[in-house]
Amino acid sequence: MENSNSYSPYSSSSVDSTKPSPSESSVNLSLSLTFPSTSSQRETSQDWPPIKPRLRDTLKGLRLRQRGYHRALFVKVYMEGVPIGRKLDLSTFSSYESLLENLSHMFDTSVICGKRDIKHHVLTYQDKDGDWMMVGDIPWDMFLETVRRLKITRPERC
Amino acid sequence: MNYFPDEVIEHIFDFIASHKDRNSISLVSKSWHKIERCSRKRVFIGNCYAINPERLIERFPSLRSLTLKGKPHFADFNLVPHEWGGFVHPWIVALAKARVGLEELRLKRMVVSDESLELLSRSFASFKSLVLVSCEGFTTDGLASVAANCRHLCELDLQENEIEDHRGQWLNCFPESSTALTSLNFSCLKGETNLAALERLVARSPNLESLKVNRAVPLDALTRLLSCAPQLVDLGVGSYENEPDQESFVKLMDAIKKCTSLRSLSGFSEVAPLCLTAFYPICQNLTSLNLSYAAEIQGNHLIRFIQFCKRLQRLWILDSIGDKGLEVVASTCKELQELRVFPSDLHDEEDNDTAVTEIGLVAISAGCPKLHSILYFCKQMTNAALITVAKNCPNFIRFRLCILEPNKPDHTTSQSLDEGFGAIVQACKGLRRLSVSGLLTDKVFLYIGMYAEQLEMLSIAFAGDTDKGMLYVLNGCKKMRKLEIRDSPFGNAALLADVDKYRTMRSLWMSSCEVTLGGCKRLARNAPWLNVEIINENENNDLMMERNEEDEREKVDRLYLYRTVVGARKDAPPCVTIL
Repeated sequence: MENSNSYSPYSSSSVDSTKPSPSESSVNLSLSLTFPSTSSQRETSQDWPPIKPRLRDTLKGLRLRQRGYHRALFVKVYMEGVPIGRKLDLSTFSSYESLLENLSHMFDTSVICGKRDIKHHVLTYQDKDGDWMMVGDIPWDMFLETVRRLKITRPERC
Repeated sequence: MNYFPDEVIEHIFDFIASHKDRNSISLVSKSWHKIERCSRKRVFIGNCYAINPERLIERFPSLRSLTLKGKPHFADFNLVPHEWGGFVHPWIVALAKARVGLEELRLKRMVVSDESLELLSRSFASFKSLVLVSCEGFTTDGLASVAANCRHLCELDLQENEIEDHRGQWLNCFPESSTALTSLNFSCLKGETNLAALERLVARSPNLESLKVNRAVPLDALTRLLSCAPQLVDLGVGSYENEPDQESFVKLMDAIKKCTSLRSLSGFSEVAPLCLTAFYPICQNLTSLNLSYAAEIQGNHLIRFIQFCKRLQRLWILDSIGDKGLEVVASTCKELQELRVFPSDLHDEEDNDTAVTEIGLVAISAGCPKLHSILYFCKQMTNAALITVAKNCPNFIRFRLCILEPNKPDHTTSQSLDEGFGAIVQACKGLRRLSVSGLLTDKVFLYIGMYAEQLEMLSIAFAGDTDKGMLYVLNGCKKMRKLEIRDSPFGNAALLADVDKYRTMRSLWMSSCEVTLGGCKRLARNAPWLNVEIINENENNDLMMERNEEDEREKVDRLYLYRTVVGARKDAPPCVTIL
C-alpha cells in the first residue's frame, strides 16, 4: 500500500511513510488517489519512470560506477557437506558468469547454474521468501535484490 | 466501373504505398478489393491477436513484407508479464506452409524463439530483411541460422531485444559468398563479438550503409571497421572505457575523416568523453545523433560536440545536457525535427542543477521551427512554459512530456497543469500522439476531448479525478486508436459508457485504475468482438473466477482489451484470463 504525499491539494494529510498502519492507509486511499511514494520505495520501482529496460540498465550501471563505494552485499556461501562457510560480496560481480567464475576459484571446483548432474556442482540460493531456488533464472539485478544465501550442491551420484 | 484492364489498375495501385490509403482503396468496389488484395506486398498488423495468419494469407497471397506487433506498449515498462504472449512462431509456420514469398519481417514486442528463426531461415528463399524491436526469447544460435541460411540477407536489425548471448560464432555463420548486407545492427548483444569475423564480413559488404556494433567492439577494431567501410551512412559505436592513447586516437580520427557519407551516429555506452571528439571531422554532416546511452559523457562535452552539428534533424540525448545545453541546441540545430531528452538520474539523490526544466523546453520551442516530435523527461514544468511552447510550435505531431514525480503541480503557481496541456492540444491541430503528466484534473481531458481531433494515441499516468475525465476522451477523440492509462481513478462507468467506441480503437490498457471484475465481465458480455484480458500475476486466476459475487467488486489490476476478428486467443498463460 502506498501512502499519499503532501504535494497535492487533493490528498488528505500525509502519513508517516515509514510506519503505515493498515487501517490508516486504507482510510487515506479512499479519500485520495493512490500516489506513489517518493521515498526509497520508488527507488526499486521497475515501472516508473517509463523508460525502456536498456536505458534503465545503463543508468543503474552508471550509478554503481559513480558511487565510489559499493553498497556491499555480503552473503554466506556453503558447500554442501562442508560445515564452515564463506562470505562473499555479491555487489562486486556484474553477472552470473563472474559470480560462477569466482566461486569456482574459491571452492576449487567447477560450479555451474542449471540442472544437477554427476560432474558439476550446481549453485542454488535462498531467496527473501526463504525458498531454495536454482541460480540463473531471473535477471542479475533482480537476483541481487532477493538473494539471502548461497549453497553449492554436491554432484549427483548414481 | 473500371475502364482500364486490371493490370493497369494494379500498376496504378503500385504507386500507393501507405497502408491507410491501400485500405481505403480496397473498400471502393469488389473488383478494386480483389485487385488490391492480390497485388498487396506489404502488410502491417498492429496487434497480432486481431487476426490470424491463415486469414492474412488468404487475403494477401502475394505478401512480401509483414510487420507484426505483439505486447502492448506498457510492456516496455515491465507492466506486462514476460509470458503474456505475442508468439511469432505460428505466423512463420503458416507462412512457410503456404509458401508465401516472404522477403521482410518486422516484429515489435514479440516472442521469437531460435526454432522460429531457424524455420524462417529455411523457408523463404528470397528472404532479405529481418528487423526485431524489443523482442525476446531467442539466442545467438537463432541469429546463426539466419546468417547461415538466408542467402540474400540484406538487413539484420536488432533493436533493444533481450537476446541470450551464447558467445557462439554467429558472425562466422555468414557464408563467404554473402556480400549483400546493407544494414547490420547488433548493438543490444551483451556478449563478446568475434572481431575478426566482423571485420571480414564488413570488408566483403560493399553496400553496407548501416553498422551498429555492440559494447564488445573496442576502439582499434572500430578504426579497422571504418577503414573497410568508409561508405557508411549510419554508425553505432561500441564502448571504450579507457581514454585512448594518442596513436589510436589519431588513427581513429583519420578513419572517421574518410567517412564523408556518415549522417547518423549512435551507441557510446560506457565511453570515455575524449572518444566523442574523434567524430568532430564529420559532425557538421550529421542529421541524426543518439547519445541516450552515453551516460558517462558530461554535459559540457555534449554541448561542445553539438554546437557543430548544424544539420541535426533528430537528437536523442540525456538530461545531463541541462537547460544550458538545450539553449545551445536551440541556437545551433535549426533543422531539428525530433528531440528526445531522457532522464539520467532515476533516484533524485543528487540535487541536480544540471537536469532539464521548463526553461530548456521553451528554448527549444523558440529556436527550432521545424520541431514536430518531442519526448521530454524533466523534474518540473509550468503552465506558462507549456502555453509558450504551444504558441511557438503549433506543428507538433507527437508531444510526450514526462514529469518524473507523479502529480507534481506547476512549481511556480502550485496549480494543476490542465491549462498548459490544454494550450498544447488547442494549438497543435495535427497532434497524433500525446503523453501527459504532472498534476492533472478532469479538466485536461475535457480539453483533450474538445481539441485533439487528430489524436490517435494517448498515454495517461497518475491523472484525473473521476470517470468524467476518461469519458471526455472517449467521446471527444474520434480518431483515438490506442489509449493506455495507469494509476488513474477511472472505473466502470467510463469503461462501459460506449462499448461501440472500442470498435474504432485498436486497444485499451488500464492498470491500477478503478475498474472492477464485474465491470469487465459486463463489457465482455456486451462486446463479444473484443478480447477482454485480465492480467493478474499474483493469483491463480481460476481461483479468482470461482469466488462468489462479492468479488465482482474486486478491482482489476491490469486490463487489456482489443478488437479482434478471431475471438479469444488460445495461447494465454495462467496469469491472463480472457473474459
